[in-house]
Amino acid sequence: MDLSAVQAALSDKSYSALAPLCDELLLQAASKGATTDEWPYSVHLLAHLYVNDLNSARFFWKSLPQEVKETRPELAAVWRIGQCLWNRDYAGVNTAAQGFEWGPDLAEFITAFLESYRQRIFKLLTSAYSTISVADVAHFMGMSEEDATNYAVQYGWSLDAATRMLTVKKLKAQTNQKLDASKLQRLTECVFHLEH
Amino acid sequence: MESLEALVAHIQGLSGSPEEVAHLHSLLKQADGDSLRAHAAALVPFLAYLSPETHSLGYLYLLEACATSGSNLSEFGGGDFLVTIAGFLTACSADQIRLAPDKFLNVCRVLKDQVMQLNMPIRGIAPLRAAVRKIQSSPEQLTPVHADYLLLCLLAKQYMAGLSILEDDIFEVDQPKDLFLYCYYGGMIYIGLKKFPKALELLHNAVTAPMSMLNAIAVEAYKKYVLVSLIVNGQVPSFPKYTSVSAQRSMKNHAQIYVELSTSYSNGRYTDLETFVQANSATFQSDNNLGLVKQVLSSMYKRNIQRLTQTYLTLSLEDIARSVQLETPRDAEMHVLRMIEDGEIHATINQKDGMVSFHEDPEQYKSVEMVEHIDSSIQRLTALSKKLASIDENMSCDPAYLMKTGRDRGRFDGRFDYDDYDSVPHKFF
Repeated sequence: MDLSAVQAALSDKSYSALAPLCDELLLQAASKGATTDEWPYSVHLLAHLYVNDLNSARFFWKSLPQEVKETRPELAAVWRIGQCLWNRDYAGVNTAAQGFEWGPDLAEFITAFLESYRQRIFKLLTSAYSTISVADVAHFMGMSEEDATNYAVQYGWSLDAATRMLTVKKLKAQTNQKLDASKLQRLTECVFHLEH
Repeated sequence: MESLEALVAHIQGLSGSPEEVAHLHSLLKQADGDSLRAHAAALVPFLAYLSPETHSLGYLYLLEACATSGSNLSEFGGGDFLVTIAGFLTACSADQIRLAPDKFLNVCRVLKDQVMQLNMPIRGIAPLRAAVRKIQSSPEQLTPVHADYLLLCLLAKQYMAGLSILEDDIFEVDQPKDLFLYCYYGGMIYIGLKKFPKALELLHNAVTAPMSMLNAIAVEAYKKYVLVSLIVNGQVPSFPKYTSVSAQRSMKNHAQIYVELSTSYSNGRYTDLETFVQANSATFQSDNNLGLVKQVLSSMYKRNIQRLTQTYLTLSLEDIARSVQLETPRDAEMHVLRMIEDGEIHATINQKDGMVSFHEDPEQYKSVEMVEHIDSSIQRLTALSKKLASIDENMSCDPAYLMKTGRDRGRFDGRFDYDDYDSVPHKFF
């Protein structure tokens, strides 16, 4: 079975392209009746988690035979991350990811995943909260309270040391409002169609 | 009947141009039949002499004879034969196989039956996906292979693979059963992917499709339709006017418990709904709908919180928890956070005061992305209405339709008035 494309993507760090790539390769291999013992299960599962496609990750896990799930501790560890994501245990994701000895192929991937996850959570906290306790920020981001405060302050949040509360600085939404002339053509066609 | 070697020689020789292929087709039709199937075991080695791309038609005839010969496929080397079929479906030439569509459909059916028997549905997905594209005369046509393909995707849990086929809009349907199965399985795939609005569309089509008598697929589709309606809209709409009479009359009788569920849901109390679900969980489980019912249950919190936004500008977490029947304010906070993440609500949580402020949708529909989005929607609608106009015109030229309307009008007037000619489309002049 030719897994060179997967290896190439991993070394290129094009992680978002990995999930559809693995899916397609699996279908092709299955139609040829190839056995899937050396299939990179952990990479495949983590690829789904990286793009936050929890549905595909869940179905992938469900479709695996029991024997595969039991004999691969690394795969089970990736699944624990997936479970935390599914249950919206925002802090649990960090503990699950940081609390395992990852093999060399996965280590870099996990680091990249954690980085993108952290950014996503921070964005969520920015949009959802006007004030939030330092303890919660640290909890969600999986950092110590010090690190969390420094991270937040970097992005313009202000700390009220007395109450241990951070005030969120909202990002100004960037909207592009320039239109071009081709829209006029489109509009004309549309009106013509409505008249007839 | 000619010998097999002669037949194979014909196939190899006559697969060049379309005229040669037509000649080959008539030869093959003569050779076809039970006598060919009787030699099924001998046919397999001959397949090695033919190429699936260039000799598609001949290959198809031989392959179909082997596949439908009724003997156990393991005689042909079991798994290897499946690989042969899979290879053929992927590599064959669409023009050639469209000359013998029934045989092609038979081969696809055999492939699907075999992979299901081997309990390895994933093996059939890539070949059937290719097969759908080969036999379709246009991406708008529904074929029997669609339903089989979606079924395999469901069984193998490859939901994303099913999506590529579902994204095409279907305008031509030959067999009603294909449509029902397509809509039902398609709805299930969208449910699995949590794309509930699209699932609702497909299930709606299955429920309102023309049917002289109620069929089991439509009933099962209706049960899921009720559940998905509750998740998306919080209520189940009544049957539209174009629903068949048999559906309007008896559909609900076959799905009584789901109707009761929707009544309980509309009362808005989580605990009542929970009790109802638990009391009837065995029935839901036997319908394979328990997972979906649980999703309906959890959507109740979401709906009740959304209802609050219509009355309040700010509300404390405690009040939210109490009103929605959650345990603690922290639970309410996590629910609201979850809804903000999913884009189901626009709000900001203020932990210092323990309050939540609800906002309006910040989208002002002025950005370039939004204009593009509206633009493409308008284009799609324009294309759709042009299509509808042409279907309408075709239908008014249909002789059966004209006879019926002409006959009716004749009954009133007794003779043709010259005015009547105006309604006949200009195509006839």
